[in-house]
Amino acid sequence: MGILRSKFFISVALFAAVSSLFAITKLGNIAPTDFPIHTWTGWAVEDFLSDKQGRPQFVFLGSSLVLVPVSGVDADYLKHPIDGSHHHQSQYFEDQFKKQSGMQVKTFNFGLPGEMPSDAFLITKFLLKGEKRPDVIVYGVGPRDFMDNLLPSPAATDPYQYLSRFGDVSSHRHLIAPEWDQRLNLELGQLFYSYGHNYDLSVSSQRLATTALNELLPAPKTDKPFTINDRRVLFPLYKPMEIASKEAYFRPTTPKERTFDNSNMVEYKKRYSHLNWRTFTHQMKFLADLMSTARDRGTQVILISMPITDLNRDLLEKGTWDSYKKSLKVLAQSKGASYIDLGDSKQFALSDFMDTVHLHSGGGMKLLDILAEKAAQDRRVMSALDATNSSIAGLKGGQL
Amino acid sequence: MLFNSLQYLVFLPTVFLLFWLTPHRFRVPLLLVASYVFYMSWKPLYGLLIFGLTLANFLLVPFIEKATVHKKLILGITVAINLITLGIFKYAYFTMDAVKTTLGFAGVDWKEPHLHIILPLGISFFVFEFIHYAIEVYRGKAVVKNFLDFALFPSFFPTQIAGPIKRYQDFVPQLHIPVKFKWEYVDEGMQLILMGLAKKVLIADNLALVVQAGFAHADQFSPLDMWMITYAFAFQIFFDFAGYTDIARGSSLLLGYKVPINFNLPYIASNISDFWRRWHISLSTWLRDYLFIPLGGSRGSKWMTYRNLFITMALGGLWHGAAFHYLAWGAYQGVVLIAHREYEAAMQKIGVHEKLLKSKVYHWASVVFTFHVVCIGWVFFRADDMKIAGQVLSKLFEAPGALLHFSAAQLAVLQIRDPIIFPALVLILPVLMVSTFVINWMNDKKFYQSPPWAVQVTVMVALMCLLTIFTPDSSPRFIYFQF
Repeated sequence: MGILRSKFFISVALFAAVSSLFAITKLGNIAPTDFPIHTWTGWAVEDFLSDKQGRPQFVFLGSSLVLVPVSGVDADYLKHPIDGSHHHQSQYFEDQFKKQSGMQVKTFNFGLPGEMPSDAFLITKFLLKGEKRPDVIVYGVGPRDFMDNLLPSPAATDPYQYLSRFGDVSSHRHLIAPEWDQRLNLELGQLFYSYGHNYDLSVSSQRLATTALNELLPAPKTDKPFTINDRRVLFPLYKPMEIASKEAYFRPTTPKERTFDNSNMVEYKKRYSHLNWRTFTHQMKFLADLMSTARDRGTQVILISMPITDLNRDLLEKGTWDSYKKSLKVLAQSKGASYIDLGDSKQFALSDFMDTVHLHSGGGMKLLDILAEKAAQDRRVMSALDATNSSIAGLKGGQL
Repeated sequence: MLFNSLQYLVFLPTVFLLFWLTPHRFRVPLLLVASYVFYMSWKPLYGLLIFGLTLANFLLVPFIEKATVHKKLILGITVAINLITLGIFKYAYFTMDAVKTTLGFAGVDWKEPHLHIILPLGISFFVFEFIHYAIEVYRGKAVVKNFLDFALFPSFFPTQIAGPIKRYQDFVPQLHIPVKFKWEYVDEGMQLILMGLAKKVLIADNLALVVQAGFAHADQFSPLDMWMITYAFAFQIFFDFAGYTDIARGSSLLLGYKVPINFNLPYIASNISDFWRRWHISLSTWLRDYLFIPLGGSRGSKWMTYRNLFITMALGGLWHGAAFHYLAWGAYQGVVLIAHREYEAAMQKIGVHEKLLKSKVYHWASVVFTFHVVCIGWVFFRADDMKIAGQVLSKLFEAPGALLHFSAAQLAVLQIRDPIIFPALVLILPVLMVSTFVINWMNDKKFYQSPPWAVQVTVMVALMCLLTIFTPDSSPRFIYFQF
């Protein structure tokens, strides 16, 4: 029997044909803005693209290093709990910047838990453009963003899962899938629609199954319906990144309530151990591409080396802190970005942190004060704002 | 390296191509290297363990063959070396826990040492293959003279991690047959692999979600829910392990080798003895040949037979894992096997009409009853400890009362709409049960021996589509990998 008579190879050929048919008909395709699971990413993207947001002048990018203090500050400032799934601005920064520059700006906080420079690049490339192009991107980074060795690849983050659906990432495939098996996975996805679009197809079929089951076996009426909280107890590992509306609140705190906890040292020790230079250089490349993309669109980038504690910095392998700082500085210079180095700044004490890396709302307020002042003094920032705003008051000039 | 991983998707075709391009005399060394690569991709150091045991058995067992005196002693030493190795890696913590508890009763507070032992994958399987080899040589079978042939026997990558437990008399002679490539190997092998992956990924992994929640939070579910969750586990473990076995058999077949089947529709067994002739066949026959029979088998009195049966099944339970709930599962199997023998004897004594025993109604009632007896056993197997097993069992036994005032509102599985597998369970479980009987009927009609060409191709294409769509990014390990 020759290969042409092999049932298996005929099946493979037919499977390829069926898969192509799926691709032509775009079977089960769901829009990138359709979020079957709402995670921090989903809420933020949905909010950003909504008409009510308009065009923000400032967009904040970063991981929880940015999200936590910026949102925490607003809870204190506005004196009420703020819903993390819906509150994506920095009211405090807007007011502080107005004080410093006389200019009313609109902000959008795109800080997401676990956001890597690769994710920030995708946000910039796919979302911060056209009518939604901001004048200024404020990107707060920490060493973890470049040295997280627990992360198998840039494609493994929650933001990537959703952001990569907004456009073509093939130009960066060598960075997204650095290992051979990750690359193979990516290529197989390109080759077979049913594999490459398996998320869409499985979501669509689940929706169909749910509709059919709801018709066939409707949920019996009870006094106590099953909630997302009940589900979390039963299946803690199912949809772990999902957050419901009004579930994650940043609450106002008093200085007394802001305590320091160093228990995340163990986690960071693992993240930093055996530094993978490839992860470091790849993430730096994403940062460079983010800056280039922004520059080409006339958006000014303010890169902040976020403050972290000495305790956390001491966990880094020898020489890596210097490499990290030097790379940020060189990159910012070469791409025309403004650079604020607060990494080991004496302006921040241990009492400004809630753990070894995250500023609490008190520390966050200090950070936003510095940022508002420096941004208002930065000619390039003000020029970027000037290009789209006719009335600028209080331009003080000078570089950061 | 997992069967359901991209690494295996590259590894298997590579080995397949090299194997068929290599002259026959180099195939065993090639497979040996491939098998060690497969094993050491997990923990390279443990390659030394399997190699060390292979070498020890290869050197020691010929002494059993040659010995005229102390033959039994040499066999004992060989078996002991294998069992001690298994004991150290698998039962050290369990033994220390048991000692600590016992000493605790005597008021002694013993601080047990921390040993940092990680259970080597597949150790229970290859140790049993070594013991089988030693005992068979003791019984008069020939030794394997070629070290490479012998080394490939336990390490053969398709069966290395979770069996089936091979017999060297069946496996080693196949290595010497200069097999020529046939496309049938690819067709049949790939059909088995696709079928195995579907069993694992599409069925077992989805049911796992229900089972995990049910056994971790039995208090959140009604007695009728718990029965459904227990049924779900019965199918989960079957499809998980049968899926693994299909992939192992399919992978072997791609290389022209045949390994034994492990399952024969276990849930249509009409009694517990029948079940054990259909479930994990390579283990149950091993236990029969190398534990039950050496203990005396059925040769002694009724009570001695029962003792042997109980010990065999209890140790069989412990083989699955170093925990009391596995021991309890094995003991339960022993007890129900004994009860079944007593029941049969009683039926004969009473003189129940043979026509009734052979009637279809009695047969199907027996199938349903046996399935439920097996399901109760699965509770011990699946529960993380005896306390949880107790909680689940007490829920199950409340079911008759719950049935008396049944309402759909009692069913938590219908309340939980996400994940969708919960309400779907009400439809899936009957389908799985009925499909067992349909497959049995098709087997009787010999449909599987020559299914129409178009059916085979359609099934393969459908499986490829389903697997590419529904394979999650990370699938749980096969259950039997832990043993």
